[in-house]
Amino acid sequence: MADTHEPTGWIGARLKRKEDGRHLAGAAQFVADIRIPGLKDVAFVRSQVAHGHVRGIVKPADKSAQVFTFADLGNVNVLPAGPEMPSFKLGPYPPLAMDRVRFAGQTIAAVVAGTRGEAEDIADTVVVDIDELPAVVDCVAAMQPGAQKLFEHWADNAYITSTITEGDIARAAAAPIQVRRQFRMNRQATVTLEGRGVVAHWDRRLEELVVYLSTQGAHVMRIGIAQSLGLPEHKVRVIAPDVGGGFGGKNRLMPEEVAVAALAIKCGHPVRWIEDRREHLIASVHARDHTYDLTISAERDGTLIGVEGDVYVDAGAYALWPTGSFMETSMAARNLPGPYRIKALKVNTWTVATNKAPMGPYRGVARPGACFAIERLVDEMAREIGRKAFDLRRQNIVTKAELPYTTVGGMTFDTGDYVASLDMARDLIGEVAVRKRQSQSESDGRAIGVGFAFYSEQSGHGAAEWMKRKGRIIPGYESCNARMNSDGSVILAVGTQCFGQGHDTTYAQIAAHELGIDPSLITIRYGDTSTTPMGFGSFGSRSIVFAGGAVAHAGRQLADKIKKIGAHLMQADPATVHIENGRVHASSEGVAASLPIAEVARAANIRQELLPAGMSPLLEVTSTYEPRDSAGVFSYGTHAAVVAVDPDTGVVEILDYAISEDCGTVINPMIVDAQVQGGIAQGIGTALYEEIPFSSEGQPLATTFADYHVPGALEVPLVRVGHLMHPAEGTEYGVKGVGEGGAIAPPAVLGNAIADAFRSIGAQPNETPMTPRRVSDAIAAARAAMGVRS
Amino acid sequence: MKAKVSLVLNGESVSAEVEPRETLADFIRERQGLTATHLGCEHGVCGACTVEVEGQTTRSCLTLAVRADGMHVKTLEGLAADPAMMVLKRWFHDEHALQCGFCTPGMLITARDILSRHRAPDAGTIRKELSGQLCRCTGYANIVKAIEAAGRELAGA
Amino acid sequence: MKSAPFDYFKPGSVADACARLASESGGAVAIAGGQSLVPLLALRMAPAVTLVDLGGLSALGQFAKTSDGVRIGAGVTHAAIEDGKVPDPSGGLLQRVAGGIAYRSVRNHGTIGGSVALADPAADWPACLLALGATARISGPSGERVEPMEALLVGAYTTSIAAGEIITAFDVPALPTGTRWSYQKVVRKSGAFAMSIGCVIVRPDRAAVVVLGGTTTRAQLLVETATAFGGDEARLRAAIARDLASVQQDADDYVKRLHTATLLKAVREAAG
Repeated sequence: MADTHEPTGWIGARLKRKEDGRHLAGAAQFVADIRIPGLKDVAFVRSQVAHGHVRGIVKPADKSAQVFTFADLGNVNVLPAGPEMPSFKLGPYPPLAMDRVRFAGQTIAAVVAGTRGEAEDIADTVVVDIDELPAVVDCVAAMQPGAQKLFEHWADNAYITSTITEGDIARAAAAPIQVRRQFRMNRQATVTLEGRGVVAHWDRRLEELVVYLSTQGAHVMRIGIAQSLGLPEHKVRVIAPDVGGGFGGKNRLMPEEVAVAALAIKCGHPVRWIEDRREHLIASVHARDHTYDLTISAERDGTLIGVEGDVYVDAGAYALWPTGSFMETSMAARNLPGPYRIKALKVNTWTVATNKAPMGPYRGVARPGACFAIERLVDEMAREIGRKAFDLRRQNIVTKAELPYTTVGGMTFDTGDYVASLDMARDLIGEVAVRKRQSQSESDGRAIGVGFAFYSEQSGHGAAEWMKRKGRIIPGYESCNARMNSDGSVILAVGTQCFGQGHDTTYAQIAAHELGIDPSLITIRYGDTSTTPMGFGSFGSRSIVFAGGAVAHAGRQLADKIKKIGAHLMQADPATVHIENGRVHASSEGVAASLPIAEVARAANIRQELLPAGMSPLLEVTSTYEPRDSAGVFSYGTHAAVVAVDPDTGVVEILDYAISEDCGTVINPMIVDAQVQGGIAQGIGTALYEEIPFSSEGQPLATTFADYHVPGALEVPLVRVGHLMHPAEGTEYGVKGVGEGGAIAPPAVLGNAIADAFRSIGAQPNETPMTPRRVSDAIAAARAAMGVRS
Repeated sequence: MKAKVSLVLNGESVSAEVEPRETLADFIRERQGLTATHLGCEHGVCGACTVEVEGQTTRSCLTLAVRADGMHVKTLEGLAADPAMMVLKRWFHDEHALQCGFCTPGMLITARDILSRHRAPDAGTIRKELSGQLCRCTGYANIVKAIEAAGRELAGA
Repeated sequence: MKSAPFDYFKPGSVADACARLASESGGAVAIAGGQSLVPLLALRMAPAVTLVDLGGLSALGQFAKTSDGVRIGAGVTHAAIEDGKVPDPSGGLLQRVAGGIAYRSVRNHGTIGGSVALADPAADWPACLLALGATARISGPSGERVEPMEALLVGAYTTSIAAGEIITAFDVPALPTGTRWSYQKVVRKSGAFAMSIGCVIVRPDRAAVVVLGGTTTRAQLLVETATAFGGDEARLRAAIARDLASVQQDADDYVKRLHTATLLKAVREAAG
């Protein structure tokens, strides 16, 4: 079976989305919209302090039956989480605190009441006695000798440390040009517009626990819930209804979810917890929080040689099940060489426990930080040697002729044309015109800058890659159950989860392509462990590669059987049969015949006497799929941005933004463009707006949207998207994932654009978000260093 | 204490005894079972809960149900047959102006209000007027395009 | 994120409202548009025993031209001013400020009186009305009094309004023909509260007025900067520096740069 197809028919069609109708009607069903008779609400008592020993929990006397501590939940297993490596120190995360709290916001007790308001009233009266311990809030200081420890039995605060040494380190150390910089990417939240949520009840008819969960992967969560509660998996059903965004933030088993599932059994009535925004910001999945101290080295002619230095990731107080955030440091380190012919990499990494909410995945995982670091370093190197950053980038980037290319970080870039990508971005942004404008002074005193940043996005990586990461669960395949009904309509059940990406539409396009029927005849089902085959959910830009591939395979298997039956019904040679436009066609020796696929479906489902002798009835298959090479395929692109910066206020306005991107074969260009635009909006949030700072006592200082700034319509520009298309060789149709790429490069491109605006003084916008204060301070510091009055 | 609230919700008179602390959003969602109105922040910033009260866009999370006593309230469910809303929905579909759909009801109600106050507004006007509606998926571009197209169509341009 | 329980009182008159607010001085809170108060209640950051709802008091929603300007009821919404329903004797300043507050659905309910009474140092109306030389009319148990904005604004979230008192209206003087003004604000993102506000009003018949908002205390009249209006940049910068030293002693270098830039922009625009 060929892996690569030329895009035809439904593949590549700008098909409007099948899932829009229910949302436009206001008839979608999110977890908070589930209504079950007898439902009661849950609120949590949360730790007010960042770190301490829990000495006692005093319930209000008249409401004690409504308040549940860990001990009240029954037998709950606290699951080990994080990679399965002897060197990884375990920090299990209980659904409700036991003897210790390790971050402000940690769940301590659950309260059940008729309304959420009443539950919060009771929660306010629960008294928690805590002996406070010093809070660990700085992940670099946390590694100093004598630092307060989070887990007494650990030798230090590192979950894991490692040193990556690849290539010719000595040559890098001896290189004539060395540029050292520090970078910070501060902590943020994932901010799905729908927070997390869970509704759980024990179904007495089926004798099973039903958990409605806003999640990116119902099957994996079922495994976690079953293990946590000590239930066999066939007694747990997880349903993800409409999910209002995920972005990584709904891909870990969280304490509230285990607690509410346990309460459903304990209480004997349905219970519900809907995360509010403050809970989201203080206690949901946090992201980024990277610190870099790096040196890039080069020859005098600009040939880049090596990257060396330290990477710290502040992973927070616990490891989230199943894998925590522990791909974060290794991914950051391995992505530091970027797309360049860098020959030496020496990076020490620390993944550190601190008294902050646990870190998890967020769109782009680790790469926004790595991209920010390497792409800023390339620009700084260019300034150091008096070259244009664009030219230095172009000089060192891997060429088309060199692909496939294995970087010193150990990643193998597959197909593409990176030089063409750079050039396309330069042309899209109109660099010549921008430089002209830049050379003239602006009437409002602002400075103009233009920046470029290249990113790559590993997608569709399977068993080989996840085994390397020592995952507890290896998401090496996806599955599809395809069933054609007696009228020729089709239901496809998959193990991935749509939370806005348009799977209902793109999977239907793939199946329509393979089955020769209209997508309107195809329904996609996901998000219910009882009705879909095992799968790992949607994350890591994997769905189109894995589930798209599984759908293609299932579709082809169905098509083969349809053709056999069709040939039999038409008394034609099966070798001459093909399906197209809803019909089975037979053509040989100038004789043409055809019949509707529905006729075949009818025979297969309800008229088995019409089938070939010995053929089993039904048109139903379950396929699993993993790509030929499970190390992944790489989407990539170049972001280009023009900014205007007020040096005094530090306010940055994005005047223009363009990207050249390549995600291989595109199933639906409308959806791909929207993923790019939406990803960039989130990347702009990381770059300029979003941050959860902490006080020295470990208190989170952005707990509402008044303090945590999510970019709005005036902050996100219209992004102009240019396309290159180099199909992957090892995936169905040549697809590559596209979900995360948009979010990776904005911090880098905006940092470079801001630095470009102040290149003459060498301002260093090296910490995200690049707030007005940080930008203005960076400019003032550069001016001061040059002796210029600010 | 409890207070009686009677209001006209999507053209139907409804009344209930509520606690004064109950928001209009909870009144609509929990008491009346209309779940098009979404809660994204409950402190008035995200705009997902936007409804119409007396013809004016309103954060239902910032409105106490008792304060809507005697008023006309419309949610997305009640605007199904509204001609401008029908045009907007068609353009939202055509321009791929929604992904996860959580912000969509608030976006649509706000968009309808924008078009009622601005004839065929340009993208800049739409962006300014949309600044109180957060979307985490789309990056806004297609929402702006959809409203712009609907505005042109409704203006007969 | 749900409010703690509270009682609710819907007064029939301003006097009724004042009486209730006075009688429960510790726990009665007036609610106007509710756009700032309700979030604080939802976050359980504002304890309230009884909410006294000013929303239905028609007396507060009035506006009318007066002999020397306009009287704007405290219950008039930002949207009403934005839409030009209220006579604007300031040559568009009121309208411009109203249209820049938060978001439309908030402006539909938020009121000018509620904004001033809350006295958020980053809010627009205190700075604008202070620059305009407006006067607040205040009702209370002992009758009605008037208070210039300069006396009304005391500090961050603090005014001279006593227990049992409410603002009923603002008298905003008309600006004569030939007046120039500028209103500049720097925000972290659209619709957010201001990091810095600079409002400059230059009447042909009086000295310039310069107001700084977004400080850590309250909107402030900047006397030195106003005096230096029309001077060269060096003189203006020096004046701004002296003003900042007196009105915001805790300003760090960035805050100084920020406010200076905002004020210079406002001064330049007002100077034409």
